[in-house]
Order: sequence, then C-alpha cells, then structure tokens
Amino acid sequence: MNNNKKPLRFLTVSLIAVSLLCVCLFSFLAFYMNRRSGETISNVGQVYMSGMSQQISKHFETTMGLRLNQVEALVETNLFDGRNWEDLADDLEYGARARGFEHLALYSTDGTFETLYGNDLTVTDPEPFLASLNAGDKKIAVGSDAGGNRLVLMGVSSTYPMRGGKTCTALVAALPVDYISDTLSLDDEDSLMYSHIIRRDGSFVIRGGDAFRDSYFDRIAAIYDELGGTGAQRYIQELQDAMDTGEDYSTVLQIGQERRHLLCTRLAYSEWYLVVILPYGTLDAEINSLSRQWSLLAVIGCALVMAALLLVFFRYIQITRQQMAELEQARQEAISANKAKSEFLSNMSHDIRTPMNAIVGMTAIATANIDNQQQVQHCLKKIALSSKHLLNLINDVLDMSKIESGKMTLNIDQVSLREMMDGIVNIVQPQVRAKQQQFDIFIHDILAENVCCDSVRLNQVVLNLLSNAVKFTPVEGSIQISLYQEASPKGEEYIRTHLKVKDNGIGMSPEFQAKIFDSFSREDSRRVQRTEGTGLGMAITKFIVDAMGGTIQLHSEQGQGSEFHVTLDLEKSTVQEVDMVLPAWNMLVVDDDRELCESTVASLKSIGLQAEWTLDGESAVRMAEERFRRHDGYHVILLDWKLPGMDGIETARELRRRLGEDIPILLISAYDWGDIETEARSAGINGFISKPLFKSTLFYGLRPFVGADTAALEKLSEEHEADFTGRRILLAEDNELNWEIANELLSELGLELDWAENGKICVEKFSAAAPGWYDAILMDLRMPIMTGYEATRAIRALDRPDASLPIIAMTADAFSEDIQRCLDAGMNAHISKPIDLREVSRLLEKYLQP
Amino acid sequence: MTLQECYAAMGGNYEEVLGRLRSERLIQKFVLKFVDDGSYQLLVDSMASQNYEDAFRAAHTIKGVCQNLGLTRLLDSSSQLSEALRHGYTPEADSLAERVGRDYQETIGAIRAFQSSTGA
Repeated sequence: MNNNKKPLRFLTVSLIAVSLLCVCLFSFLAFYMNRRSGETISNVGQVYMSGMSQQISKHFETTMGLRLNQVEALVETNLFDGRNWEDLADDLEYGARARGFEHLALYSTDGTFETLYGNDLTVTDPEPFLASLNAGDKKIAVGSDAGGNRLVLMGVSSTYPMRGGKTCTALVAALPVDYISDTLSLDDEDSLMYSHIIRRDGSFVIRGGDAFRDSYFDRIAAIYDELGGTGAQRYIQELQDAMDTGEDYSTVLQIGQERRHLLCTRLAYSEWYLVVILPYGTLDAEINSLSRQWSLLAVIGCALVMAALLLVFFRYIQITRQQMAELEQARQEAISANKAKSEFLSNMSHDIRTPMNAIVGMTAIATANIDNQQQVQHCLKKIALSSKHLLNLINDVLDMSKIESGKMTLNIDQVSLREMMDGIVNIVQPQVRAKQQQFDIFIHDILAENVCCDSVRLNQVVLNLLSNAVKFTPVEGSIQISLYQEASPKGEEYIRTHLKVKDNGIGMSPEFQAKIFDSFSREDSRRVQRTEGTGLGMAITKFIVDAMGGTIQLHSEQGQGSEFHVTLDLEKSTVQEVDMVLPAWNMLVVDDDRELCESTVASLKSIGLQAEWTLDGESAVRMAEERFRRHDGYHVILLDWKLPGMDGIETARELRRRLGEDIPILLISAYDWGDIETEARSAGINGFISKPLFKSTLFYGLRPFVGADTAALEKLSEEHEADFTGRRILLAEDNELNWEIANELLSELGLELDWAENGKICVEKFSAAAPGWYDAILMDLRMPIMTGYEATRAIRALDRPDASLPIIAMTADAFSEDIQRCLDAGMNAHISKPIDLREVSRLLEKYLQP
Repeated sequence: MTLQECYAAMGGNYEEVLGRLRSERLIQKFVLKFVDDGSYQLLVDSMASQNYEDAFRAAHTIKGVCQNLGLTRLLDSSSQLSEALRHGYTPEADSLAERVGRDYQETIGAIRAFQSSTGA
C-alpha cells in the first residue's frame, strides 16, 4: 500500500494549497472592493461637494449682486441734485420699501448711521465694510438693529446730505439675515450637507446645522475633542492659509471614526467664506453595509468552492482506494492462478512421465525380448494402454488451453438426444461391464427429442460425468443416468433438459467439492492417486455447461457416492419431428422401474398405441394370458431383461409356451444385445430395443412389426401434401435426367418448374423474370460454367426486391463443410440428393411466403 | 424381364426408388432415359484428355443420377471416383474410373435387355 500514500499526500497538499489560494483570493477581493468603494465614495463626495459649493457661491453672488444693484438703482434714480431732501428721502424710502428692504439708512464716512426708516443699525464688523464703502465699492456686511435682530447690510456709495454735517459715504439697505440662509437653502433639512458662512477669523456670519459657537475654528476643535480625534489644529491652520491666499480649500476631516468632507470657498461682495460640510456618516453606513454584504458573499463563495473541492477530493480518494483494492484483488487472483498453474505443470509433468516411463521401459523390454512373441505382445499391450492414457491427458490439456485462451466455441447444430444417448450408452457399456457395475438409464418426460446444441461438447460432458462415475465407483457398484425435460422459463422455443449422473462410489470431501470445478485441481488423497486423469475434466465440463448457459450441481458424500445434476435450457430444434404414428395396438410394458413404465406408456400413447404396464415377469405372464383368453391379446410385449424374480428371457419363454409364436416379444435393455442375442432368440424373443427409450426409439423399434411399412409412409406424405399450386420454382441442374426427375416429382406438389442448365443461365432467367415471378430457387452446386455458390452470390447481389428469395441447395454429398459453404454463399437451406418429396415439401412450406 | 429383375441385374434398390418416385411407370421412364445421359461420355472423354475438373463433375453427376434412380452399385463406384477427383487427380482415380466403366456397362446392359423385353 506504499504506492497508495504518495498520490494521497500529493492530493492533500494540493487540496490545502488550493484552499489557501481560494481563501486569499476571496479575502483580497473583499478587502480591495471595500477600499475601492470607500475611495469611490470620497471621489463622488468631492465632485458632488465642489459642484454644490460652486452652485451655492454662485447663487450667493447672483442674489447679492441683484440686491446691491437694486440699492444702486435706488441711488441712481434719486440723485441729490438740489431737490428738496425731504422729498428725496421719501422717494428713497418708497423705492426701498417697494424692493422689500426692511431698513434704510445713510452711512457716514466715520461709520455712523442715519436711519431713513426702520430701526437703527449697527455693523458687527464695521472696519472692512467702512473701508470698502469709503473706497467707493459695493459691499455686504452683517449687522443688527436696535431690537438685536441680525441683518444683512448692503452698502452702495452715494452722497446724500446727512444730519450734523457728516459726510455720507453710502446708502445702506438691510434685510433679515435669514434672507441669505433661505435664499441659499443653507439649512435644507433633506440635504445630507450643511453649510456655514464664516469670516476670515473663523467667526460665524451664518450658522448652519447645529452650530452654536461663535467661531468655526472653535467648533472644529470642540468637535475633535468631543469625538476623540486629533489634528484639529492642522486643519484649522490649513483652512486659514487657504483663506489668506484666497484659494478654495477641500479636505476630508478624519474625526475619530467619523469622516466629514469640508469645502471652503470665498463669497463675492463680502469678506465671507462659505464652508460646506458633508458628513460621511450616512454614506459610510451604506458603504459598510455594502462591504459587509461583500465580505459575507466572499466568505460564502469561498466556503462553497472549498466544499466542492473537498467533495471532489474525497470522492477521488474513494475511487482511488477502490481501484487499488480491485487491483490488489486481481493481483492476488493472478498470483494464485499462476501458482495453481505451476502446481498443475509439475503434476502434469509427473503424470505424463509415468506413462512415458512405462512406454520407454516396455519398449526396452520388448527390444530385449524381440524373439519372445508372448513377451513382446504383452509389452505392446502395455504400451498401447499407456499411449492411450497419455493421449487422453494431452487432449484434456489441449481442451483446457483452448478454454483458457477463449478459443473454445460451441458449434450449435441439431442434436437428437436419442442418438446422443445411444452413442454414450454404447461407449460406456464396455467400461461398466468390465467393472461389473449396475448401469441404469432413466428417461422420462421427453418433450423435445431434437434440440439445438453442440453435440460433441454435450457428449463430452455426459461422457466425462459417466466415466468419472465408473472410475470412482468400485466393482459391482451402481451407476444411474437420468434424462428428463420440462418447460423452460426462457420461453416456448426452449426446453429445460435435466441430466443426472449418480453413483454409489467413493464420493468427495466437502473441501474438494468446493474446488472440483477449478482448473488444475485433483483430489489429493491416496486412494485417488492411482486413478488416472489430469483433473481438468470437471473444469472443462463446467466450462462447457457454462458456455451452454446451463448449471451444474453436485451432491456428494464421502463413501456414499456422488450425484451430478446438469440443467440446460436448450433451443428446440426447428426440424419437424417426423410424425410418428403406429396402428392402434394394445401393448404390454414390463419393467421393474415404475417411472420408466409410466414414461414409456406415455411415449407409446403419443405414437398412437394403447399400453399397459407391470413391474415383474410373473404378473406380465398372468395379464397376457388373461387377455389372450378373452381374444383381446396384446399385439406386442416389451420386456425388460433384468427383472426381479423371473428375468426377461424366462418370462419370454413362459409367454411363448402359453401364447404361441404369433405375438412379437421385444427385449428392452441398456446392455449390449450381442451378449444375449442367441439366448434371447432361442427363448422366442423377436427383437431388441435398446434403452434409453425415446419416442423415436420406440417408433423405429416397433415399425418393422407393422408389416406394411410403406402404408405409414404414404400416410405421412399425404399429411404433408401441401398445396403449392401456382408456385414457380427455378431449378438449376446441369443434368437433364436429374432435372426431369425433379420436375416430375415436384410437379406433383402443384409447383411450376423452370429449368436452368447451369448457374449462369439461372442468374439470367431470374434477372429476366418480373420481380416476384419465382417463389424459390432450387440450386445444384456442381454445374459447369457457373457453380451454384457463384450463382447464389450473384443473385443475392442483384438489385431486385426479390433478390432475397429462398434458395435451397441440392447436394449429392452432404459434407458439413459443403453445407456451411451453402449458407455462407447466402442460401437458406440444403437438401441432399436424391430428392425426397417430403423433405422438399417441408422446406418449401417453411420458406415460401404464404 | 420385369423392372424389378432389371434392378436386381443392375445392383439397384428398387424398393427404395419406388418409395420415392412412387410409380413404376416413372421409374421405367427415367431408367430408359439413363441410357441417353451424356455424363458417362463426358467422364470418359475428360479422363482421356486428363481434364480432371470436368471428370470430377461428370462423376459427380453420375453419382447424382444414380442417387435419384437408386442405382446402388454404380452410385458406389461413381461416388468413390468423385471423391478421388474432388481435389484434383489422385492415383486411385484410374482404377476407380475403370470400375465405374464396368458398372456402367453392366447397368446399361441390363437396361437394354429390359428395354428389348418390353418392346419399347
């Protein structure tokens, strides 16, 4: 697991690094954005404020200019040109009142007022005011009346006579000071800003906001003190310097936690300065809430990205671990498989060496005793035996290597279970006889005798199981093979076929049962050592059964015997079973196995026979005699050879004695007929039917006794007399005689035939005909100019709607490779010569479209 | 001479062919036609000119006709010959061709005899 750690460490480190990067990035973003928004707000404030202060000062200038102009106009329209002063003063008063001035006075060069109307006036800061007026300028100043009301004074130079001989320097009109603050909207409640108008020394002309002190500079210092800020003096100094130089002053005051923007600008017609202040408190609150949201979003985003990262990371680790585990498992499997193979190789070498040693040794002995014929014969026999053994070993190994390399495939073909079982019984019989074992075959409930399967491999399976049973069952033991079928869960086309091989031999240990189907294993106990074999047989068997989609089960107990149960779902063969019908005979079946009796009776019934059964010879004789006396005797009697009590041959003898020679008596047995034929014939037995008793076994076994064999055949052909009237067939056949025979025979089915003398003519005739004209083609294979294969390929390649019409090959030699070649060339089926009407009719029925 | 006797003389299986062709008339018709079948001549000619491909086809055709007519003896020898020639010339082909010749002559002889006895 060492190599597991490296990627894990790498992953952890990269996860941490990416997480850190993520946190940093998001923090930086939050911080940067906060700062940027603060700066932006400052800039906006700056722009906004300078605009506002400009507007205010402009407004001030305009308004005050207007008022001053009004006063000037008053002066110009009422010049003192020797008119009566009283009238003039009335005119002045009238004009001033009309323009909304509350007070009007004359101002002397020494700074005293002569009130024309309204209250007496005083100037708050008379020096600069007087100086300017004396210099002939227009000027504004703040003053108060006798009632203490603050006033704005507007002075315009003029010369009017004054009382007490004073020289008049200006006409001063006054308005309440609120006029300025109202006009300039200095105290707008809705605005964030507030403004003051101050003098150069910092004293207020007009207070805005909540200011109450006399000097603005004091106010700044006090606010700083209040809010715990420092550096008030610096700002005051800067402000004063700016005032001295006459420049605008703009700064952000940092007072403790609070920021205020301050802008100072000089106002026209006066010695005043406008101070506009924008507290950032509200804005800062907004900005802070914005930045809080920003930070929150950043934190959430960061957390989400990290969660996703973690998720991916852990999932990845999980997958990696799983893969590692799988790899490890595969490695272990490979190691153990390898080990099994090496063990197998060493076992095999030993197994191969043993017979080889025998062969070498025996050859040496034979050479040494070349003149001793008996000795040489003995040696040769041993050599033959060992060679055969060796060959078996090598065959198994070859099979296994085919399986291991995945090269073993199934050749699915139609298989007759009857033929297969017959063949197997024939092969096994000698072995069984040699060990004097009892061999029983049980076949029942066969629903489909013909199935699609790889016959060679199926044979191999059954033979393997049977020869194992024979091998591991002691002398005089018993071996049973059962075959039965039932409906398959895979569907109508399938039939579930059970095959059981049972013995009462040495059995197997549970440990061995667990690995019996593994490759390269063999029960390693002393009593098996003597038994030949590679130990591959069961693995091969298992593989074949698996490849056929079946299962194999094993029940075994040491000392009791073993039972193998193979279950296969085989496809039913499409070949129609020949309808097997025999005359309605009465029959008697005698066998000591009840199941066999019942199943045989059922099979007989299905081929049209009535049958009774009994389990022993004595009762059979009694039943037969009884019916014989009633003149309703059995037509045929089937007798098992081995019966309890009276055996088959004795029973036959007894039957013949009582019933005479007419009734056919047939022996049924799994044993070889040859051994007992003479004895059986002499006992009056007419024939032999070998077990297993399939329907067809019974049919073909009994048919010779029908007498009129052809009658049944005719019946068959009648049943198959399908109506092909009006169907057109193109028949390619190079030999005229064969053509005539085919024509003659097939015309009987109502078919219309056209003759093509070779493949080329066949293709030409087909091409020339209208599509759908021919219903099928019967094709000879060996023709001059163009063979049947070539013609078929040519027809299939034609661009016609009916290019896929049924083509049936007619072959004189039915080698399997020829058949395969036919199918490869695109033909649908083949029939072998000579032409059999039933076969042709069956195939045409299958392939012709209705 | 009956058709059965003719078949016996030719070494044929009358029962089998009757089972398939189902009428004596048909069998007679085709058997008589067998005399005119050119396959044997093709076999002789192509063997002589060592054209073994044609010879194989001719032997094969004779085999097919014999299968159809149930001429067992000639079928046996002709199918052996066609196997010997299936993948080109083999040494046993010559002797087999001779045997086919003998069987063919016997068969033709029997058919001729039958033909003259029926007066056809």
